[in-house]
Amino acid sequence: MKELFASLLALAVLAAMPPTVAGAQEVIEHLIPPGYEPEDAQDEQGLWMEFEEMEKQLNRSALLVRDAELNNYIQGIVCRVAGDYCNDFRAYLVRNPGFNASMTATGMMQVWTGLIIRSSSSSEIASVVGHEIAHYTRLHSLEGFRRLKSKMATASFIDLGLAALTGVGGFAQMTAILSYLAFNREQETEADLLGVRLLADAAYDPHASYQVWYKILAEEEAAVAKREEPGVFAQTHPNSEDRAAYLKSYVDSRYGPPDVEPAADQAFLDILNRHYLLLMEDQLDTNRFGRTRAILERHASIGVNPGLVNYFYGEMYRQRAGEGDQDLAMAAYTSAIDSGSAPPEAYKNLGYLHLKKKETAEAQQRFRQYLEANPEASDRAMIEFYLEDEQ
Amino acid sequence: MKRCNLITFLTLLLVMSGCTAMNYSLVAPGVVAVDDLTVQAGTSWNRAPAAATPSARKNSATWTQDGLLLDRIAIIPGVPDGEPLLITRDKSAALPVFRADMLPNELEELLESTIVKLFGEGQAVVSTANLRPYRFGDQTGVMFDIDATVTDSPKYSGIVGAFIANDKLYLMYFLGAVPHYYEKNVAEAEAIIKSALLSEAPAA
Repeated sequence: MKELFASLLALAVLAAMPPTVAGAQEVIEHLIPPGYEPEDAQDEQGLWMEFEEMEKQLNRSALLVRDAELNNYIQGIVCRVAGDYCNDFRAYLVRNPGFNASMTATGMMQVWTGLIIRSSSSSEIASVVGHEIAHYTRLHSLEGFRRLKSKMATASFIDLGLAALTGVGGFAQMTAILSYLAFNREQETEADLLGVRLLADAAYDPHASYQVWYKILAEEEAAVAKREEPGVFAQTHPNSEDRAAYLKSYVDSRYGPPDVEPAADQAFLDILNRHYLLLMEDQLDTNRFGRTRAILERHASIGVNPGLVNYFYGEMYRQRAGEGDQDLAMAAYTSAIDSGSAPPEAYKNLGYLHLKKKETAEAQQRFRQYLEANPEASDRAMIEFYLEDEQ
Repeated sequence: MKRCNLITFLTLLLVMSGCTAMNYSLVAPGVVAVDDLTVQAGTSWNRAPAAATPSARKNSATWTQDGLLLDRIAIIPGVPDGEPLLITRDKSAALPVFRADMLPNELEELLESTIVKLFGEGQAVVSTANLRPYRFGDQTGVMFDIDATVTDSPKYSGIVGAFIANDKLYLMYFLGAVPHYYEKNVAEAEAIIKSALLSEAPAA
């Protein structure tokens, strides 16, 4: 009976996987050795030149996060997952609240800050990194480039040509043009599976490879207007639901189910706690309150500093300004302040909410606390205007 | 998705290569009315045509000295409660909206998020500072400074003035590429913003 159940389970697992996964019980290997550089193929050398030019532009981008601790943290994950390939990669952390990372054929890796705030552990970040490294070692960019080149009459290549002729080739435009080299579904699945192996070999939790996707799905559900808010991940990737399901089947059948409810590691929590304002402020500026709330709920559940999380709850409710949000915002700011670790702006914005309620004395008290906590506040003139005006 | 990107890219190329008619009009020095708001221009400016500012509200005006990519003043009069500072057909844009009970900190955030949307979500990081009170005639309003770091563009700095009258928002902002175009135009732009007055007989 047990064997029958096991056979049925195995069949169910295979049924949930896309054909490539079902047929990929053999190990997917790297196609290139560490330190790889193109030697003979002219097209590959040309592709490398394009990406090297992109990297020069990326290096000049004002949107790069320059903080050493954040960069060392990301580079550390990349190196641990990459193993012998560590020196092949340069990781760039980019200020962008979306959930994404990318890799070029030359080993230039971009990680968006939105990936960090949407993860719950270093393992989840490492799962995305492993996926990108697999694209690199499987030469997926080159494969895509050659596939595209064989269709040179297509409009996509006209684009590339026009860009070259007109000189319209800024970094964002180059990125858009090169997105025509996007990996296909088969390559994505291959990268998923090799990525899982890299994750496990590096002693990260392989279950993170699907757990991160279930969290993205939960965020999609939480989006206020699901049909009106675009997904946070590129549409060239497999559907998040399918991906989470087949990765779960693959990982659980290979490594067994997860032992315990996954917990955030201290290194990840330290990074979030030390850089929370920088990491979250761009998300707040997206004005997408459902998504922001889902992220905050996750951060609260994994143990990010409650003072910081509650401050952003206050910001989210106050800016959403729906029915009852003012009271929710005030309660969140108060909790943040009571925790002793709220940023000074919590006092100020709580003060402004008291002003809205015509609670002048309370507003003034909070404004004074704000100026005490932040004597160099650049909006001192505005705050003093209210302190004088309301007396 | 790819087809969409392709169309957008080709349209951009056409626009940038001058195939679309773009007639700028001269704004002479003196008092200039923009809907029910007046400002005092100290020197000549070029008013951008609607085709060059597709996301601008219909009754607003956008002026420039050296081209919109290098400097611009946007004069946005009479935004009603519940409406955004920009217009778009994109239902997924999640533009922030003005609310008549907004306080100075919220006006600052409103513009910050609006400028992020103007340059493209994920393509810009915008910050504000030096929020301070300022009187526009009889109206108590605010001024503040703004910085925008944008992918593929120079860094911008600027200055903003805003007040609420009759439950409507009147907002003027200047952005100039740092350092040259900001420094070249900021004094004149600040004077224009500070000169903003509500007309005595507001438009219906």
